[in-house]
Amino acid sequence: MDLAYTPRQQAFRQEVREWLAAHVPAERLVTLERQDGFDQHVAWERELASGNWGMVTWPSEYGGRGLDLIEWLIFEEEYWAAGAPLRANQNGIFLLGPTIMEFGSDEQKARFLPPMARGEVIWAQAWSEPGAGSDMAAIKTTARRDGDHYVINGQKTWSSRASFADWGFGLFRTEEGSQRHKGLSFLLFDLNAPGITRRPIRQLHGDPGFAELFFDEVRVPVENRIAGEGEGWKVAMATAGFERGLMLRSPGRFQATAARLMALLREAADRASPGLREEVVRLWMGAQAYAYNTYQVAARIMAGGSIGAEASLNKIFWSELDRAMHRAAMHLLGPAAELQTLPDGRANEWLEGYIFSLSGPIYAGSNEIQRNITAERLLGLPRVGAG
Amino acid sequence: MDFGLPPESVELAEAVREYLAGTHGPDVLRRLDAGGNRDLRIWQGLVEMGLTGLLVPESEGGLGMTLLGGALIARECGRACLAEPLVDTALIAVPWQIARGETGDLAAIAAGEKLVALPHAANPWVADGEGDEFASVDPLRNLVAAPEDAGDDPLLLDLGALTSAAQLVGLAEAMLDQAVAYAQVREQFGHAIGGFQAIKHKLADVAVALEFVRPVLWRAAQAMDDGLASAPLHVSHAKYAATDAAYLAAESAIQVHGAMGYTYEVDLHFWMKRAWALAGAWGDRNFHYHRIEDAALGGAHPLGPQHTFA
Repeated sequence: MDLAYTPRQQAFRQEVREWLAAHVPAERLVTLERQDGFDQHVAWERELASGNWGMVTWPSEYGGRGLDLIEWLIFEEEYWAAGAPLRANQNGIFLLGPTIMEFGSDEQKARFLPPMARGEVIWAQAWSEPGAGSDMAAIKTTARRDGDHYVINGQKTWSSRASFADWGFGLFRTEEGSQRHKGLSFLLFDLNAPGITRRPIRQLHGDPGFAELFFDEVRVPVENRIAGEGEGWKVAMATAGFERGLMLRSPGRFQATAARLMALLREAADRASPGLREEVVRLWMGAQAYAYNTYQVAARIMAGGSIGAEASLNKIFWSELDRAMHRAAMHLLGPAAELQTLPDGRANEWLEGYIFSLSGPIYAGSNEIQRNITAERLLGLPRVGAG
Repeated sequence: MDFGLPPESVELAEAVREYLAGTHGPDVLRRLDAGGNRDLRIWQGLVEMGLTGLLVPESEGGLGMTLLGGALIARECGRACLAEPLVDTALIAVPWQIARGETGDLAAIAAGEKLVALPHAANPWVADGEGDEFASVDPLRNLVAAPEDAGDDPLLLDLGALTSAAQLVGLAEAMLDQAVAYAQVREQFGHAIGGFQAIKHKLADVAVALEFVRPVLWRAAQAMDDGLASAPLHVSHAKYAATDAAYLAAESAIQVHGAMGYTYEVDLHFWMKRAWALAGAWGDRNFHYHRIEDAALGGAHPLGPQHTFA
């Protein structure tokens, strides 16, 4: 164990810090759950790519810098410390990208990864269906083979980013009459393909962040399938692992929130009850613990290990930490918590953040599912009644 | 930057875990509880493994390990609910004496011939000293009155708090294991109760708590090894978080055991009681909270993602 950064790592941090200081927009962007805000965030993705910061851990041939996980953590720490915008392409770069790198052909890697890293193609995910949420193996949307194409019919819903994104990825039933985890394939599709109807869904905050997708005889070339026909479940589980695991929610994001929360507590010190005060300090400790844990997992992976069902522990922890931090902020704001704009003229980011934090324990596999996974795969408790 | 645990320390900890699992099971705790409390054979076994000399320099006949290596062993002492005063002697007194340049006792400690139990103003008692006894809830804990002139040395307190936190983590891990093992075999409504989500989710919460306490503990140990000025903050974080995890593990484990958990017949109570005892030792939850608040909220410690290892 060595908890000091090397001179090279320190120099890298400085380089990241300087680039961000010169490029992060001074004005906070409009929410990416709206078309105008989405466009602003896509422009930021391209700005990041212009500095070759789109996806720092990817190999250079796919538009990355080939950096290791420690350098990735440093980048993320500086990114969130600088108050840089949310990543419009997170479904692509953090979920689909690693999936293609693990399961895709060389041709698919060359075709899909560089435009993803450059922010030219923004990706949406299409897992859930009206009857298949937590129970994803219940999906019904079919992809019938017709020569060198699949023909998709059915419906996906709660598809993050699908209101505005360019392409989507998801699981489809390619074997007629197949049940549960069998007969599924992982397909990539153009969201503007003929036969796709997008119906944006107004989310809790009022903006259309995700969408329903209706597929009516949508033709998708066979070369858009990742891994073999019928191997979709295995691929999707790997993608879900990326989602819950290391990449999607780097600790920097929560440490930045915790630091802002501590600053808010200092401002409200006269009003905060002792209980709320201790809660805030505890939450800061939680964000630090999450960071240490991530560094430990990174060390394990760099030493040749992997992250398996432990990803469920991560997902439970960060999502409930994030919700608790924003809840504490709502209590600190008191009567101002309900205001969209605070009395000093600033947007009420805490309210926006609290609403968003309520989705954390639901998306990427609800926390109830994560607790089942933890109990069954990590603790070895029997699978009874969970279906 | 490498948060990986040193492989040689992990290997030694695994060997100690295996040794204690084989020689220091619940039957031993029950035998000690029935009379005597201490057993020279157990102590001799620890000495033969070199554990009394864990932190003693190699020149004095020890293994010369770091506090991080010591924390890994303290965790195993907790997991086995070890009552012998190994932690007080080998993991608290030894590094404190080394830091003060007092090397006279080290060879005797490494050889297992000398036991040391140090008083501290934070503790109203001394664990395993000589003199009048206080009755602890933990039947295997021998408490004596602290001398009136007990000092308040901050390094000694941090050593005690760090190793208590490590034991609390091991105790909590053992209680989780016991609850899981019970839930796998206890049947109600025609199923092992571990198949019910109410039980699964309760135990999953303990697993989550432990997953995010362990790295805090390692970080605190390494901060002490590195002599960071912020080490007391990290030690307090570890003790506070380990205390909460141990209470959570204890309450969850007794609940999963149901009425059996409320008996003296189930082994769980030894671990639970040790956890309650150590939670208040070497600075209680209030003390450590205030140290964290003073440093983190007071402004002395830099906050934010760019200061993860400040």
